[in-house]
Amino acid sequence: MANAMSDQADKELISRGLKRCSTPRFVLWMLPWVALLIFGLYAAGLCLVKGLNQTNMDNRFAFGLWIFLDLTVIALGAGAFFTGFLVYILKLRELRAVINSAVVIGLVCYSGAVAVLMVDVGQPLRAWFTFWYPNVHSMLTEVTFCITCYLTVLAIEYLPIVLKNRKLREVPAFLVFEFQLHKLTYVLAGVGTFLSFFHQGSLGGLYGVLRGRPFAFREGFFVWPSIFFLFIISAAAVGPSFILLTTCLVQKISRKRLVRVEVLRLLGRISGLMLAVYVLAKTVDTLIWINRTSPERGFPASQYYSWNPFGTWILFAEIVLFGLVPALVLLTPRLRARTGWLVAAAAMACGGVALNRFVMTVQTLALPTLSFDRFLSYAPSWQETGTFLAVVAYGVLVYSFSFRYFRLFPDERELQAAVPPTDTREADPILAGRY
Amino acid sequence: MTNPNKPVKAARYGMAIDIDRCTGCGACMVACAVENNVPPAHAGANDRKGITWIRVYKVDNGGDGDGRRSAFVPVLCQQCGNETPCVHVCPQQAVDVDPATGIVGQMPERCLGCRYCMAACPYHARYFNWWDPAWPAGMEKTFNPDVAPRMRGVVEKCNFCHGRWHAARQQATAEGKPDTEPVAYLPACAEACPTQAISFGDLNDEAGVTAAAARGRDSFRLLEKLDTDPKIHYISKREWVRRIADAPRPGDGKESRRG
Amino acid sequence: MTTTRRNLFKLTGGAAVGAMLTPAPWRLITDSALWSENWPGIPRPRRGEVTFQFGNCSLCPAGCAVRARCVANQPVSLAGVAAHPLSHGALCAFGIAGHHLPYHPGRLKSGPAAEANQAVRAALGQLRGAERCAVLDLRPGRTASWTYRRAMAAIRNGVYLAPAAPIAINLAAAKTVFSLGAPLFDGWGTPGNVIAARDHFRLIQAEPVESRTAIMADLWLPIRPGSEEALALGIANLLLKEKKIAGLPAGFADRLREFPPTMAAMHSGIGEQQIAALARELQDNGPVLVLGENGSPYAAALNLILGAPGRTLVLRREAPVPDDWKKAAPVADLASVPDGSIRVLLIDESATGEALPWSAIQSKLAEKAVVVTFAWSKEGYGRQAAFTLPTAVYPESLDDIPPAVDSPAAAFRLSAAWVAPPDGVVNPADFVAGLAGLAAKDALQERAAAIRKSGRGSLFVPSSATSTPARDVKPDDFWKMLQAGATWIDDLDANAPAPKLDVPALPAGTASSAFPLVVVVTEPDTPALVSPLLSKVYQESNLRLAPESVALHPSDARACGLETGSRARLETDCGSVAVNVTVDSDVPPGVVQVAGGPGIRKICGASSRARVVRS
Repeated sequence: MANAMSDQADKELISRGLKRCSTPRFVLWMLPWVALLIFGLYAAGLCLVKGLNQTNMDNRFAFGLWIFLDLTVIALGAGAFFTGFLVYILKLRELRAVINSAVVIGLVCYSGAVAVLMVDVGQPLRAWFTFWYPNVHSMLTEVTFCITCYLTVLAIEYLPIVLKNRKLREVPAFLVFEFQLHKLTYVLAGVGTFLSFFHQGSLGGLYGVLRGRPFAFREGFFVWPSIFFLFIISAAAVGPSFILLTTCLVQKISRKRLVRVEVLRLLGRISGLMLAVYVLAKTVDTLIWINRTSPERGFPASQYYSWNPFGTWILFAEIVLFGLVPALVLLTPRLRARTGWLVAAAAMACGGVALNRFVMTVQTLALPTLSFDRFLSYAPSWQETGTFLAVVAYGVLVYSFSFRYFRLFPDERELQAAVPPTDTREADPILAGRY
Repeated sequence: MTNPNKPVKAARYGMAIDIDRCTGCGACMVACAVENNVPPAHAGANDRKGITWIRVYKVDNGGDGDGRRSAFVPVLCQQCGNETPCVHVCPQQAVDVDPATGIVGQMPERCLGCRYCMAACPYHARYFNWWDPAWPAGMEKTFNPDVAPRMRGVVEKCNFCHGRWHAARQQATAEGKPDTEPVAYLPACAEACPTQAISFGDLNDEAGVTAAAARGRDSFRLLEKLDTDPKIHYISKREWVRRIADAPRPGDGKESRRG
Repeated sequence: MTTTRRNLFKLTGGAAVGAMLTPAPWRLITDSALWSENWPGIPRPRRGEVTFQFGNCSLCPAGCAVRARCVANQPVSLAGVAAHPLSHGALCAFGIAGHHLPYHPGRLKSGPAAEANQAVRAALGQLRGAERCAVLDLRPGRTASWTYRRAMAAIRNGVYLAPAAPIAINLAAAKTVFSLGAPLFDGWGTPGNVIAARDHFRLIQAEPVESRTAIMADLWLPIRPGSEEALALGIANLLLKEKKIAGLPAGFADRLREFPPTMAAMHSGIGEQQIAALARELQDNGPVLVLGENGSPYAAALNLILGAPGRTLVLRREAPVPDDWKKAAPVADLASVPDGSIRVLLIDESATGEALPWSAIQSKLAEKAVVVTFAWSKEGYGRQAAFTLPTAVYPESLDDIPPAVDSPAAAFRLSAAWVAPPDGVVNPADFVAGLAGLAAKDALQERAAAIRKSGRGSLFVPSSATSTPARDVKPDDFWKMLQAGATWIDDLDANAPAPKLDVPALPAGTASSAFPLVVVVTEPDTPALVSPLLSKVYQESNLRLAPESVALHPSDARACGLETGSRARLETDCGSVAVNVTVDSDVPPGVVQVAGGPGIRKICGASSRARVVRS
């Protein structure tokens, strides 16, 4: 009896016209992720309570798995701002089909990254010092300000999605508030784009300004090294690809058509275009770096790739294999039409950006700077991996929750209607609750 | 307190370290830890997780067998003078360059522990407190009262024994000396070196021993082309030793474990 | 007017806004940063009056002068005394952190003193026939050593055992120093003295490993491991050229014939021409000093051949003692004691010096022997002794330090007692004196009086960095100044006779396959305890090999099934000890590099061979 009542209450939270699995099945789906989250929180708790000696980072590898994954995850979450830019500023209306999902992914990526950063620093209680004693010369100050502001923007963008929930709409105050928020959408999208432009770039700038690390150091424009711009372009390139991937994944798991296939192809095309621009810019930048920037600082570029396992293959993989190849695939309409190629190319693009972040964070620190240094290796400890798995679990939980109770895919109802219903109850609009 | 109306003659404290005289005994490393209340190694510490504000590395000429020749190089914070990398990158201004002395000072009480400065430093002169510091019972009686012990989660590094500079400054003021003149003092490592390989002084004082040694023909600085303008000058008559100041050699698969 | 809720809200709201315009909330926010800075559990330094006190370091026989910076009479840092004529301001890494030793976790604070006393007295009462009571003193020449000698003279069948060291080295007189692996820059003699004399001699270091001394040498001869004998005899052949010299041990001539220069070149890996050039240089560029490992007969033989006695080798001298002390027991060698004849053995290892292998000692012990050792920790002879009695450690005791091997003149200096020792410690000299019914509490003062009475020498006072002739110092002041860290240095006797150099017997050829590795000691003998801060040079930087550690070449390590961090046993024919293993490609194959320490020195003598076995 109680079960039936809670099931009924649960069903009332689900948007009209959308089919979702039964409550017990949903709980079953969430349980392992909750378990993973608890394990991850325990790992993170160990790091907070016992100190960062729980990780395998050390004085030479000051940054490790967390920073690498933070940078990757923020690049992947760039879909949120870029899609918002495309929909609200460039008026690409078709992408409204995925904008909500993109916002949730962005929120999850950014909030997860910020949470991991709080564990990564030695004194989390002093996090507010950056706001109180900011250093205008430091890229990290810029990153901190921009990311916290952008996280706020994302939270505000997430609110309407939440407030549009079937049950919450019944509260008049929420309805009015949501309506008011709706007017801000363009402003939020603009602010989000502006902030993202800067922090995506500054994350690259973090490494580009390191004069003491000629592997990472680049010249650039005014105070911004070239990596600043390369990171923005690559984030914009990989954002749509990641949305493409996640949408396909959600479609597969939920066994529903959520978006029109043209939307996916459009995402792929945009990603391919940005990726092509990125590969061109990156190639030019790399050539300048190899031939001028690095040698001028006394570091011939060849020695960077003379250490196992980071041979020249890594440069080739980053720019050609996981950069040029997916760009070409995504720009070819014939290949784009085939979902298999589309998804594979999107995955390779994401992989390429992850590789790029890896090279910038991990390879930079592994390479020696003094002639009596050694090349170093580092492998994360289970506490580090666990903490990041907590973020993954958190992401899946939030997304699953949002997918079930909020309307993440506006076209879903239409696309479901196109499918002939097997259930007569579903066929009747009133009985099915679509009114 | 210095009179703001009188121009203060700025000092540029630096060192001239004679590698040909360094025996690799490590007295400087221990003296530094004694002076600055650095805790002894935690059980899990190794050479990548320890705290050694000054660290003596063993370098070699790359030769094999009988052709191999070694030397010892003490490396500490180079007190970079030009666009100091760590000062530029710290998000909360926990590092600054003192214009009166040229010393790059780290403020552990401001430090967030983000370790960005450690990534920025090409000389690996910065150390993070991976553990809570712990001393055997009773050893805290031997603390230097002029230096505050740090807690875990913050970065620390050599500051040319700034506490000693401060004490020398107060002494000079008490003796009635004008506080526009730089004071003479010795950091713990320079005082402890048995062969007097470490010479410390004001590089702006042209007539001083340190400045003269730094100007010598055999003097060099680490990674000169990075343009950090370090204040630590190394001296050696041996050509191969001077080459260690250059960028790393390409990997040759040989693993050297010492130093 | 009535106060309504709205008024209250207005007041609160206005106050909040107004407060934001004052510095108060902003200062509070800034101050919270300070609260996060002083975490509970981080100890704070104590405050107090800062004073400077002088003393001498007793961690090794060098006895370097020390200036201690004290806060409320607690030493917080140590430094050398720059103008000191013996140590020239140098302090080694161990001495610099010596003030930590009272707080070392491995340091013993109490022991079975009453039981040990009882057992010893009972055993002494039961001494039969030729059974002996012996004191083994690792650092002879101290005033405590004289107390032991006097006590052993008073006890029936008492014998005083100590390593013989009749020769001192005058480094300043040398123009060429030829060292067969002696660690001149790594714990030999007085570091400050070696450094001060360095610019006046040419150093040739023959050693299989590029040690610190080899790096500092003018010429490093990378000889093959274990080939010191071949090289020394090859050079001796060239120097002697059929001449005969008195004083060489039996069998020397035969051994010489085994190693003509060609054989020497083949064994050592040094070219014949270079060996010839070396011999010529030693002949022409005197005065020459040849150094080897402790007790090396090859170095002694070469010194004899090159005429070092009287020039670079002089008679070792001690500070004067009161006349009535001279009726003390003589210094005897362990080898001179019959096997199984020691019934009571009292070992003073509280002052480090040359350690003897336990196997050599064990053969001299009678059954039911009572062994008491006086030590800082259980890691030395405490592993075998029945009773380990704790003593005061370095900055806790007033003790004299005999002159080091490189001090041609006698010297007398005291280590200061800056820190109060724990209640449970025992003074070994008092313990032994008590057994003999001797009153020796004022021995140091008595000796100081005798030195002053002799009227010789000068007193260096560190606080003023001046030297005064001893006879110009008032007798009362003399003792006070010694306690405040002054050093008495004897006048050098220009007409002193050349010492008689005893060349030890040549060892039998060993080349044992059971012990395939040649032992090279690359780190000095550390005191029984080293400050925990030495981790800076050990595990936190790999600059030096930690005590009780060995380093192996990768191929040797592989052959033994070991890698870095393995626990193993280092075994020689004198015993075995547990060690930590480091794999280092800088170590030549066939060599095991060891760091000295109480355990290692007890199983490794000169030219030891060993094997390393996984434990």
